[in-house]
Amino acid sequence: MDKISQWMDGELSGHETQKQLTRVKQDAELHHSWGIFHLIGDVMRGERALSREFEQRVATRLPGEPAVLAPRHRAASRFTTYALSAVASVSAVALVAWIALFNNPLAPPPDLAQAPATPPPTAAPSEQLASVPSDGKMNEYLIAHQEFSPSTEIQGLATYIRGVSSARPLEGR
Amino acid sequence: MLFQPSCHLECITGLVAGRKALLSRFLSSWNGPSVKTTWPVILLGLIAPALAAEDAARQDGLAWLTKMANASRRLNYSGTFVYQHADRIETSRIAHFVNPAGGEFEKLETLDGPAREVIRTNDQVTCYLPDAKTVIIEKRSARRFPALLPEPLTGVADNYVVSVAGMDRVAGYECQVVVLEPRDKLRYGHQFCAETRSGLPLRARTLSEKNQPLESFAFTELKMGGSFSRDQVRSRYAAKSRDWKIDQSTLVLRDVPADTGWTLTRQPAGFRKLTELKRSIAGRAVMVSHIVYSDGVAAVSVFIEPLPKTRPAQSLSHQGAVNIYVRPVADHLVTVLGETPAATVMQIANSLEYRGGLGR
Repeated sequence: MDKISQWMDGELSGHETQKQLTRVKQDAELHHSWGIFHLIGDVMRGERALSREFEQRVATRLPGEPAVLAPRHRAASRFTTYALSAVASVSAVALVAWIALFNNPLAPPPDLAQAPATPPPTAAPSEQLASVPSDGKMNEYLIAHQEFSPSTEIQGLATYIRGVSSARPLEGR
Repeated sequence: MLFQPSCHLECITGLVAGRKALLSRFLSSWNGPSVKTTWPVILLGLIAPALAAEDAARQDGLAWLTKMANASRRLNYSGTFVYQHADRIETSRIAHFVNPAGGEFEKLETLDGPAREVIRTNDQVTCYLPDAKTVIIEKRSARRFPALLPEPLTGVADNYVVSVAGMDRVAGYECQVVVLEPRDKLRYGHQFCAETRSGLPLRARTLSEKNQPLESFAFTELKMGGSFSRDQVRSRYAAKSRDWKIDQSTLVLRDVPADTGWTLTRQPAGFRKLTELKRSIAGRAVMVSHIVYSDGVAAVSVFIEPLPKTRPAQSLSHQGAVNIYVRPVADHLVTVLGETPAATVMQIANSLEYRGGLGR
């Protein structure tokens, strides 16, 4: 891998370059690394814009990272360690994303306003967790919620239909 | 401003910042008296009518929101409405009467599927579920809070572009269309149609990010006015339900906010905490922490309770425009639900943190 890095920096002789070229051609893994190295280089030099989706994916997944800080009856110290390491890993991801996306001297300053440190409003629900129609088990919570919702203030009791709705697709009718 | 050949990044940033400062000075001077001295009249001449028109549309829209809430609370009416969500349509009857001697009464009754009744009598909401022979009672000391009116309406305009958009006709009545377009993807769009004279909302739609209807309430038949009639808002199960199971939820600290010890590390923009209390939930023995966040139109409720014996998996479900996310956090079960996109509900659930204090 060192040789490839040197090759990319133009530090290898003609003969050595030829040798590495053959290696990269034959070894699929090296070939992949070669591509990745160039991609990283391009991004760091600001020659290649990361896709909008990439930025959004990073930002979308940040809120979903389990930075869990909650009281626990037992094993509090182990839990704290876990929580702190989770936070640390999230921070590390955020930092890398920051460097890759924004440490680019050619980028126009207004882009800074779109820093990924604040989760953007475009965050989409986690792809792993598909939303299913409510089966009525949450009705008591829906009723408890409804009293505090401004929609009840505007529409009156009609919104309570959500909490007593007979639509229970799993059981059928 | 001349662009110097030696000008580097700092310089460009400076230029941009300078332009922003000029713009913000312009905008802040807009409401002030010193407009005439600083800014070319011709520029104002171009921009002012546009801004004034937008402002007028917003004021108009906000006024209609106020009118709708007042009408829902003060008007006597009875009618039939359809609740549409996903591919389902449910028809219900609703009646609302105010007793001139004091007291507000409301009755909701489903007309298809299993019979359901919801009765509001001032500070108490009672749900009758005849098939389960169950009565759910929600009781509180003061009616409907948060009060939408009048102060939080300013927050509405921060989070939504409020405007009026033409007239329509619902259940035979002319109505004014009022549109709330979300300023970001943390919230859904809303469209109301308010009866022209009284302001009673005849139709309410919640729209997804793609402007698709997620949920809709619309009257198909409506009678407004008439004198107070206790019979129209009385439950038909009042006598029958005496030996039914009664699930009563209590709000222990009532209107006094309780410190549950829980807080959000990343509160979604535009949402503020409305209330925080300890309560029970109908049908559950344990005490639950209940925190409500709202952006003035939509609300998100957070419920935190001890983890049941069988640890539930995290789950995401929806009922109309309401998204419901359940997630175990350490020894707790967190349930977050609200009429916002799933991402907003999940952001709130995932940034919940225990800061200690009272409550446990």
